[in-house]
Amino acid sequence: MNPADILHECVVPTLPPADELLAAVRSVAQGQLKQQVDAIDRQGLYPHAILKELAKAGAMSAHLDSPQGSGDYFLAIQAMAEASKVCGATGFMMWCQAVCGLYLQQSGNPALMGDVLTRHVAGVGMGGTALSNPMKSYAQIESLLLKATKVDGGYLVNGTLPWVSNLQADHYCGAIAAVAGSSTEVMFLLRCNAPGVALRECPSFSAMEGTGTYALRLQDHFVGANDIIADPAKPYIARIRAAFVMLQCGMAVGITQGAIESMWAVEPQLGHVNQYLEDRPDTLQAELNALVARVRKMAQTPFDSSNEFFIDVLDARAHGAELCLRASQSALMHQGARGYLMSSDVQRRVREAHFVAIVTPAIKHLRMEIARLSAEEMPA
Amino acid sequence: MNPEGTSPVIAEFLQFICRACGLIYDEAVGDADSGLAAGTRFTDIPDDWACPLCGVTKSDFDPYTPPSPDALCAKLPGCGPVVSIRQRHRAGVLIVGAGRAGWQMAEHLRAADADVPITLVTSCAGDVYDKPLLSVAMARQLAPEKLVREGGTSAAARLNLRLLAHTHAISISADSKQLRTTRGTLRYDQLVLAHGAQSALPTTLPASLCWRINHLGAYLRLRAALGDSPKNVLIIGAGLIGSELANDLALGGHHIVLLDVQAEPLARWQDMQAGRQVLQAWKTLPIRFVGGVKVATVEKVASCIRVTTECGQQFEADQVIAATGLQTPSRLAQSAGLAWRSGISVDPKTLSTSQPAIHAMGDCITIDGQPSRYIEPIARQAKTIAAAIACCEPEPYEQRPVVVRVKTTSMPLTLH
Repeated sequence: MNPADILHECVVPTLPPADELLAAVRSVAQGQLKQQVDAIDRQGLYPHAILKELAKAGAMSAHLDSPQGSGDYFLAIQAMAEASKVCGATGFMMWCQAVCGLYLQQSGNPALMGDVLTRHVAGVGMGGTALSNPMKSYAQIESLLLKATKVDGGYLVNGTLPWVSNLQADHYCGAIAAVAGSSTEVMFLLRCNAPGVALRECPSFSAMEGTGTYALRLQDHFVGANDIIADPAKPYIARIRAAFVMLQCGMAVGITQGAIESMWAVEPQLGHVNQYLEDRPDTLQAELNALVARVRKMAQTPFDSSNEFFIDVLDARAHGAELCLRASQSALMHQGARGYLMSSDVQRRVREAHFVAIVTPAIKHLRMEIARLSAEEMPA
Repeated sequence: MNPEGTSPVIAEFLQFICRACGLIYDEAVGDADSGLAAGTRFTDIPDDWACPLCGVTKSDFDPYTPPSPDALCAKLPGCGPVVSIRQRHRAGVLIVGAGRAGWQMAEHLRAADADVPITLVTSCAGDVYDKPLLSVAMARQLAPEKLVREGGTSAAARLNLRLLAHTHAISISADSKQLRTTRGTLRYDQLVLAHGAQSALPTTLPASLCWRINHLGAYLRLRAALGDSPKNVLIIGAGLIGSELANDLALGGHHIVLLDVQAEPLARWQDMQAGRQVLQAWKTLPIRFVGGVKVATVEKVASCIRVTTECGQQFEADQVIAATGLQTPSRLAQSAGLAWRSGISVDPKTLSTSQPAIHAMGDCITIDGQPSRYIEPIARQAKTIAAAIACCEPEPYEQRPVVVRVKTTSMPLTLH
């Protein structure tokens, strides 16, 4: 490959104004994405080209700091919502790509903040996040699955992670391993094609098959200084945890909005019977608007590391999951049989909404973590 | 439109909806699977064509105009032609907090309305106890289980209410009348905030080393930590709570050092010479009061805790208690957009907050910016709110000057 080509590909596009960015995302979502959503959902089509288009539009980097100033988290969330309205799987992969960019930019490691980040922002490099297990470990739900052993010049990492998304053979993800013989952890960029790393197919999911989700098996995988995101990882995670969770709100907002629009779509024909349902589109829309306003305010301080703020973010994320469960189910009841057709986006959204409710942090994890953080600390 | 009128006008593509399954035939898109190219007019579709989804025929299709949500919304009077079940169903009254305020609220409300559904949400176990007795129990060395007047479960059964214990109330969605908690989201018709205040801990005092005794749970853990033998206890803050704790812990056999930034204890009642009187009363007790000092650091040193003041004095103790005042947690109030003046600002007569359907009472409220964190007003506040919720004869709340009794056993003080 000609180095000049890479350089050309890696030029970070000047971020367009918010409305242009959203218009570009909408055009991809309503065009190509709408045509492929069924294949993504059920046949496992990984929408690589679409994700590249969205990255080029700046959809997965709006939250990152650029020479023009600090990132706009709300814009990144809105962009994710636009895509999620059409395809929850794509919205989820946008989140994967967005948080992976956050890991790189916040790493402080020049080896990750130069070319690697530039390629990532441009969508030339793509990646995900293997932090489901570590996040649950920090919330005292389960223990870390990857173990790192200190060796000359870095670490050897072993272990298997189930279900890491937005992966392909040439993709990468942020991962965390417990360092043997210490109480610390190391966070690093894990490249799927590196020696000692194997991708393994997962059994089929009930929805969102095309999310590039694999199990990652690591056998004496060497991690050198160039790939370290944070060592130790804990203070770093404390800094980015709110931003990490907040960005997920985009999926819930989009799926809920899509469901509400499906309710309106049948109002002229079925409004006379749908009036007997618990949730109606106008009330759900009001609740969604209030949640979006809350998220917009939070998005102004993504790096507030206080427990109070994090509780707020966790609660907004939980509200989003609950709302999208309610809205998607209600949309199915509004549409009746036509929404139950396998080809209907209404039934697909029910399955997508359940994903939002169970993906880490799941509703139950969110509540448990809020309870843990709310307890008054007392002497031991 | 064609302004020049020369080239042929292409009519706009139309859409048709299947009456059976709701499939929309869009002339612009056609139906490739049935061999209908994009742009095929509905009228040009052969009569034997079938709906690709449900199989009904062309005659089962109606012209279709995609609705605009705004126009549809405008058609719904208010929230729809019929108020939906979600709103019709009686969610009842939600009380946050199971201290004296929360339970008193439940008692008065049940007395005023036998049927209204009541749910009580609390982060503690929900047992009924008298907080002022926490301190006294140290002096009398009462067994901790004697403090619980009635278990939460049995009080809930007696009052026919639902008790959600160990449940944190996180935020209020005031528009949709929902309370978000760590055990799910609850709807309410009326909400009463009775969650009290929290110990305010200055940043110099680490939470992991300083006890705050503001509820039964913390009290029980302190009792366990003190054990059965006399201990050295350092108390920071000689206001009402700090002074009572010093008094009662000393009577319980412990050695007390009591620190305060003021020169005397109970400095708020200086004009009544409360400090001088209380020091007199403590003459026979193992209490050493050190006034005019500010704590600079608190640190763990071997098996004890070292407290250093800004002026360089050092004290070592087995346990440290902070009695540095109270503050109302603002999370719930903020989420509901409630008016706030050092606490939840309520109407002096009705105790309603700035949001309809939300009342507040007890330690979490302020009236004209002033908190009044005492026992006496609580029952009267509960009565006022219960009357309003049950639509009984109004019982306007009346602010009265508070009489404070300092429970020093040797020389009880009454302060106004």
